Amino acid sequence: MLWNAKEISLYLKEKAYIDTIIVPLLPISFSDRTKQEAEQAEFITLLTNLLERQFKGRMLLVPPFTYLSEEDAQHRLEKLQKWIQEFESRQFDHVFCLTSDSGWKEFESDLDGKLIWMPSIPLEHMEEKYKRKIVDDQVNQLVKLIVQKWQTN
Amino acid sequence: MSNQRVSRRQFLNYTLTGVGGFMAAGMLMPMVRFAIDPVLTAEAGGDFITTGTSEDELSDTPIRVDFTFEQVDAWYTSDVTNTAWVYLDEAGEIVALNPTCKHLGCTVSWEGRESDPNRFFCPCHNGLYEKSGKNVPGTPPTAPLDQFEARVGDDGILQLGQVVPNKIV
Repeated sequence: MLWNAKEISLYLKEKAYIDTIIVPLLPISFSDRTKQEAEQAEFITLLTNLLERQFKGRMLLVPPFTYLSEEDAQHRLEKLQKWIQEFESRQFDHVFCLTSDSGWKEFESDLDGKLIWMPSIPLEHMEEKYKRKIVDDQVNQLVKLIVQKWQTN
Repeated sequence: MSNQRVSRRQFLNYTLTGVGGFMAAGMLMPMVRFAIDPVLTAEAGGDFITTGTSEDELSDTPIRVDFTFEQVDAWYTSDVTNTAWVYLDEAGEIVALNPTCKHLGCTVSWEGRESDPNRFFCPCHNGLYEKSGKNVPGTPPTAPLDQFEARVGDDGILQLGQVVPNKIV
């Protein structure tokens, strides 16, 4: 489900079936990393949207967790943990945080397996056909990973 | 000059009739055009989208066919990619099923679970459908999978149209 009025009303009606949340983690800054971050945002947004399409009936795609890259990492982590706690208290048994920002990697253990880090692929100059193929491959990997997590508990 | 004289009265009559005729036509033409418009669009036919798959690639095993079209949604225009599972039935007719699960809208896939061969499987809540799209009783889906209108163009390429309720179940 997407975070819009029409699909959320379906969510409210069918709550029992929707137990998974996906959160894109997107950094923002105006520095030498700006372009890279824009590219990450494009890639992660595309990926999460395709995933949502695949798993529409069990997965809620919430608005991205956006933060300034300069922001203190510890502070950012606490804030994300609050988000996760809130989701878990609302009967979302599976929370997945998808990002290309390598800054999160050191917190992998703090996030308890909920972090999925994907290296961002520069799609900007790519031909439409290859773009689709590459992104499809990435989505398929994620699909497998998520189905696996669903089956383990 | 001909020796037939045109009187002032005749001249004015001709000119006014001519100009009036044009004005009347200018008003009537759009009205007539609007009135017969539905007939004209019907002739243009439903909007079928050409896929990248030719007729020869189809067999009795469903294959995944992706097709892209432009969708205008309020003020956004975007390229949308849709998927269909296409196969030939016993009579050789093309069947194109829409993989959107009738339960809550996930995407189903052919033989998506090893323990269920010859069926469509939805990974979200373990929904199952027969090859015809018929939902398997006891699984969450409550209706059979929808179909796409399908035809083969003159060039032998598969074309898919509107989503319609399942006609073969």
